Amino acid sequence: MNVFVTPAMLAQVVVSGILSGALYAMVALGLALIFGVMRIINVAHGPLLMLGAYTTYFLYSALGLNPYLTVPVSMLALFAVGVLLERTLVFRVVDAPELSSLLLTFGISIALVNLAQLLFTSDLRSVEYLTGSWVVGPVALSKPRLVAFVFAGALTGLAFLFLRRTKLGKAIRATSQSREVAMVCGIDVQRIHLITFGLAAALAAAGGALIAMIVAIQPEMGQTWTFKSFLVIVLGGAGNYPGALLGGILLGLIEQVASLFLTTQLSEVVAYVLLVVVLLVRPTGLLGGRET
Amino acid sequence: MIRRGAALAALAAVVAGLAAYPGYASGYGVRATLQIFMWIVLAGSWNLISGLTGYVSFGHVAFFGAGAYTGAILVAKVGWPWLPAALAGGVAAVLLALVIGYPCLRLKGPYFAIALLGLNEVLRALVSYFEGLTGGGNGLSLPTLDATIPIYYAMGASAASVTLLTYVIITSRFGLRLMTIREDEVAAEAMGIDTARHKLYAFLLSAAGPGIVGALTARDQGYIEPISVFPLATTITMIVMVLLGGKGTVWGPVLGAVVLFVAQEVVWARYPYVHPLLFGAIIVAVVLLMPRGVLGLLQSRYRLPRTI
Repeated sequence: MNVFVTPAMLAQVVVSGILSGALYAMVALGLALIFGVMRIINVAHGPLLMLGAYTTYFLYSALGLNPYLTVPVSMLALFAVGVLLERTLVFRVVDAPELSSLLLTFGISIALVNLAQLLFTSDLRSVEYLTGSWVVGPVALSKPRLVAFVFAGALTGLAFLFLRRTKLGKAIRATSQSREVAMVCGIDVQRIHLITFGLAAALAAAGGALIAMIVAIQPEMGQTWTFKSFLVIVLGGAGNYPGALLGGILLGLIEQVASLFLTTQLSEVVAYVLLVVVLLVRPTGLLGGRET
Repeated sequence: MIRRGAALAALAAVVAGLAAYPGYASGYGVRATLQIFMWIVLAGSWNLISGLTGYVSFGHVAFFGAGAYTGAILVAKVGWPWLPAALAGGVAAVLLALVIGYPCLRLKGPYFAIALLGLNEVLRALVSYFEGLTGGGNGLSLPTLDATIPIYYAMGASAASVTLLTYVIITSRFGLRLMTIREDEVAAEAMGIDTARHKLYAFLLSAAGPGIVGALTARDQGYIEPISVFPLATTITMIVMVLLGGKGTVWGPVLGAVVLFVAQEVVWARYPYVHPLLFGAIIVAVVLLMPRGVLGLLQSRYRLPRTI
């Protein structure tokens, strides 16, 4: 237990919180998109992130590719996986009761994790490319985390630009607002579902690729990301895409501040208590409501 | 009426046979049957919340673990006899369900499912953190005691109680209201059902059984550690059992538990590594192809009572 907090420590915590928060925001945006457009919570979101991390790991260790160059490759690969999953399985439960989509994606999630265990074994692996930190005044900036922050920020920005400016992005937002009206306007909703799912998997993969350079990867790394991404959505307000940004940064900050006072063992507990409290006090999220 | 009488007679014969079983069975037979009883309780309890209301619990093993630790601590540190300790395990699980269920079940949608997805890890972290009480990662040993046969009866009584409770609920107005929530929650509300309260009651009932058998299992095995009582695999197994047998039915979880347990013992024990893959595939296949499980299939083929 640490009771004395110096301004330098506080600055460090805030910086670290924002750095990891950007990653949370990017990964959660994927989950939020699927939820907004298809009304499905994809329990396999974290395991898709895990697959992205392994893609980067193998491209780096087997082909010797620069790990940052593997980020777009991982994203493309997982876009394909996402499209495949949607086309073969997930589309069948889009209008089914919630129980069906939750159980189906849960089944997919278990299968993916086990498949990874069989193919890649449960050994911890890491991509050691950038190590060490840059020291700026009282704050140490971990190099891989800072680069990951830049990547996550850029990719999230691109995703928002895509959603706001392009015709396809507008079609996705329209479908998210009202599927029926979108259909009447001539939008091919099936295709939008397909693209959204692929896009979400690609965002998760980008997260996985960047995380692979920060922490050790293993087949079971994904599940907490499903939970944390969901927490980010709850914080920001379900269906509110900019809210996911705020929620991500907020979760990063809260976890880091909590780490000042608690052992890392309990960081999972902090996130959990946060979820329960937010659901109790402000179930519509901090920004509230559906997206505009 | 004759068929009903015959069914009741058959049921009584099965119960009597199981009650007499430890008298002439081998040690392995008793242990295996005890495990089947445990799975019937777990699957039946998951069915109470998820099968009846449609709210999926991805963390039901948390109640098993909470019961196991409560029971083990009461036996090992306070010196309680195992039977009251098991009941206390059930009470602890219900209290935990109240804390989690109250905020999550007031809302519609996936909040409940995802909150329970995380619950497991949280409890495991807490148990590891409070080392003084729980032994942390080193686990907790209980005083030696050979109580396999009394525990067999306690497990059997729990399995019978959960199945009977499911029957009573399904044939009651309370059960009808739960199933209305499952089919259309907005309509249920419009009919004046206090949905939040009903969901919470179903959830509390569904936590008691796992808490009790968790404590019984802790006593039976004499040693528990965080990874042995909070495995995600246990939740997965109960879900597969219920889906396979038929969710929302009285006998579906029983059927699923028996069939899956026997299959696991006989066939799959040789292939432990592909277990989750297979279970994942079964979940996907049942959801897409056979959403009402084996019993649902039989009900649609043959003339069987609705409350089976």
